[in-house]
Amino acid sequence: MAEYKHPEVLVSTQWVEDHKDDKDVIVVESDEDVLLYEVGHIAGAIKLDWQIELQDQLVRDYLAAENFERLMSEKGISNDSKVVFYGDKSNWWACYAFWTFKVMGHENCLIMDGGRQKWVDEGRPLVRDVPQLPKTQYKVGKIDESIRAFRDEVLDHMKAGGALVDVRSPQEFTGELTHMEAYPQEGCLRGGHIPGASSVPWARAANEDGTFKSADELAAIYGGEQKLSPDGEVVVYCRIGERSSHTWFVLTYLLGYTNVKNYDGSWTEWGNLVRAPIER
Amino acid sequence: MGDLAGIIRQFRDSDLQTTLEMLVDYSDSLPPLPDRYVPLLESSDARVPECETPVFLWVEVDGGRVGIFAQVPEESPTVRGFVSILIDAFTGASPLEVEEAPADILHRLGLDKKIGTRRMYGLGAVYARIRREVRDKAEASSLKQ
Repeated sequence: MAEYKHPEVLVSTQWVEDHKDDKDVIVVESDEDVLLYEVGHIAGAIKLDWQIELQDQLVRDYLAAENFERLMSEKGISNDSKVVFYGDKSNWWACYAFWTFKVMGHENCLIMDGGRQKWVDEGRPLVRDVPQLPKTQYKVGKIDESIRAFRDEVLDHMKAGGALVDVRSPQEFTGELTHMEAYPQEGCLRGGHIPGASSVPWARAANEDGTFKSADELAAIYGGEQKLSPDGEVVVYCRIGERSSHTWFVLTYLLGYTNVKNYDGSWTEWGNLVRAPIER
Repeated sequence: MGDLAGIIRQFRDSDLQTTLEMLVDYSDSLPPLPDRYVPLLESSDARVPECETPVFLWVEVDGGRVGIFAQVPEESPTVRGFVSILIDAFTGASPLEVEEAPADILHRLGLDKKIGTRRMYGLGAVYARIRREVRDKAEASSLKQ
């Protein structure tokens, strides 16, 4: 049985239980539901909200470096902290936060396999106490936009016949729906997909219990069936870039693909762009 | 009936942290589903289909007074909190009072700004569902009289 290419970025619930109080470890909960942390979280974990905290509240973008520095300093995260992310929805938002931290150049990021659901299913305790971590002096070093794709690059990539993976539901891919079921406020004027993209819904990479599928199973999907080249440039996208962060994580860290970019503008940008080419 | 205008004022004047704390309190105090409804959980028409969270709702109008009963999973505290606010505000109200409640309640509570527009859709669907059912049940009960 093959191993994940970078198993060091994935930790188990037991590892978190054993190491959450280590001095260099910061456990971060990142959820879709804004209140989930408040009603119970892993003891010592802090909260990071993808929408309220990681995104700029004016421009559609992530925090500028100085605002990210301020946020990290207030949260008590240092440049050398080992940040362990977990969350609801099979770790979508944990992967999204992980990816955002990587864009911001934070080195040591980990994901708790199985997320919040697995922790709860195993009967592990949740608490409501909010830890007060001492403030830090965080400094953003080098922002890494090599893992982020912008629309003009995606257009060039598409024209060059590069690999594009659409991780939305099959109905969104075919254009039958212009939004994920139950999320029409993130809808678009046009439905369909970027020409040449292949449809690999994100959930194919996850088990029922929220953990990632094995290296062999993942390789069979992305390498075997989709014939993606581990060294080629691959662009992944969804609707706002959160489900595709999950696939970005799988390709980059579990399968060791070396050039995967997340197009966070995703369909909410592409499907509204005048003259953007669309296929159904 | 709870005081909806008072609840709106309280939320509107609160910062994010206080808003979240109030929502947690509401989520914690969602009344349990009465026993008579538990067997009906299997029937899918009580579920609000637009809400990603499995929310089950029943509305009664009895003697001109509204009753709302709901089940919302604990893993979805935001939806639980919002449903609990509506139960607090509308229990014992007249159908007319529910009809006259503001359509843009999420905006008035300041939830769209504070917790993000991307989280509003399911909540809006729950609100619309309650108001529609109150109207339908009120009409049905006036036909019987």
